[in-house]
Amino acid sequence: MRSKVLIVDDLELNRDMLTAILEKDYPILQADGGRKAISMIQKHQDEIAVVLLDLIMPEVDGFAVLEVMRNQSWLKAIPVLVITAESKPGVESKCFEMGVSDFIKKPFDNAIVRNRVKNIVDLFSYKNQLEEKVEKQTETLKKQYKLLVMQAEKLKESNTKIIDILGTVVECRNLESGEHIKRVKGFTRILAEQMMADYPEYGLTKEKIDVIVSASALHDVGKIAIPDSILLKPARLTKDEYEYMKSHTTRGCEVLNNIQDVWDEAYGKVSYEICRHHHERYDGKGYPDGLAGENIPVSAQIVGLADAYDALVSERVYKGAYSADEAFHMIVSGECGVFSPKILECFRKAKRKFEELARAQKQQQQKEGMA
Amino acid sequence: MTLRECYEQLQGDYDGTLGRLCSEKLVERFALKFLTDDSFALLEESMNIGNYSEAFRAAHTLKGVSLNLGFTKLYEVSSEITEALRGGEQPQNEALLGKVRDEYQRTVNLLQELQNG
Repeated sequence: MRSKVLIVDDLELNRDMLTAILEKDYPILQADGGRKAISMIQKHQDEIAVVLLDLIMPEVDGFAVLEVMRNQSWLKAIPVLVITAESKPGVESKCFEMGVSDFIKKPFDNAIVRNRVKNIVDLFSYKNQLEEKVEKQTETLKKQYKLLVMQAEKLKESNTKIIDILGTVVECRNLESGEHIKRVKGFTRILAEQMMADYPEYGLTKEKIDVIVSASALHDVGKIAIPDSILLKPARLTKDEYEYMKSHTTRGCEVLNNIQDVWDEAYGKVSYEICRHHHERYDGKGYPDGLAGENIPVSAQIVGLADAYDALVSERVYKGAYSADEAFHMIVSGECGVFSPKILECFRKAKRKFEELARAQKQQQQKEGMA
Repeated sequence: MTLRECYEQLQGDYDGTLGRLCSEKLVERFALKFLTDDSFALLEESMNIGNYSEAFRAAHTLKGVSLNLGFTKLYEVSSEITEALRGGEQPQNEALLGKVRDEYQRTVNLLQELQNG
């Protein structure tokens, strides 16, 4: 708590007169010159409530003391009251320009000095308390914000974990495609990043792409509700069986609906879109809803193409693998799925990246197989 | 001699000073303390060796003290020499120091008389 009054005057008589006025109300410090004043302020900066300053002193004068106080930012917390017999015009306004709080001309009146000192001390003590309070509150706010950021990060992690757990369940159930999900994620990212670069109208961002890539792991989550006799049938499906197989899209949505309140809204929404609509076709002849054109969510369009491409280049129980070139042409020509012109343009541009990823995944798989 | 009589002889402002300093005790205490103040000695010495900026500060101090204590005559002459010395200049009027010396001596004599009762 600041309570002390520092009296700066080279004349003892003057210091004593001011001390006599103020010593009843405040502990008094005295400095007989500018140099001493500066070192005392430095030493007692958290105790001094006000400085009473004489201007004309040998060596370091009052103006020099003010200059130092201003440069050290001491004036923000410690007010200065100048007491002088100086009658030269302009001195008073110069003092105020330099940041003094009050100016008393000699001869001074004891009662006035006492009152002005009290006013300044009270005002600054109030101001300093307010600033301290604001500082503390800002500090608290910063801490809370940090905590919030950490919690958001945790939430994101747990969202990703939920998706990965579900994805793993699908992987285990869907014997034919151990690495399928990993590859679809990779193709999805390549395609989504190309879309973000070429077609800003879809509003894709780095964050949104992260969610789409993560959620793409769930595109076939509904397959856990398809019986083995259909899911793993090593031959062509009958018409009824195929209709049942198509229901993996809507069955997946039921699963997701049941866990909707567990995770973040953005993840839930994107997962649902992908799960339900990754078999829609741009011409409206897909399933389950027959959505056409840009009515199909962009997330589902991207994952749909990634999924179709992966199915072509992979071996399945019912078919062999196509070469990368064949797969590319089948998709671009509309032989396998119907996609939007924009997404096909991005697919063309990203052809090489798709093939690199497919190759790298295959090598990785072979390595693991040998080990 | 009472304090008031002393001020009357000094042609000082007793009532004004009493009003400002609030008590007779304080006025007397600081008026007598003036006897130990060596601002005038510093002024005279600085003038003798030609250090006019030091002389300015000493004159300024003397002016401030005499103003605050209500020594009106001494304030007037010290104020005059202060302005003459401002900027560290040698005063044109050589008689100024003498005027301050005379008034200072007169003041000190009267205060000593007061002190001795």
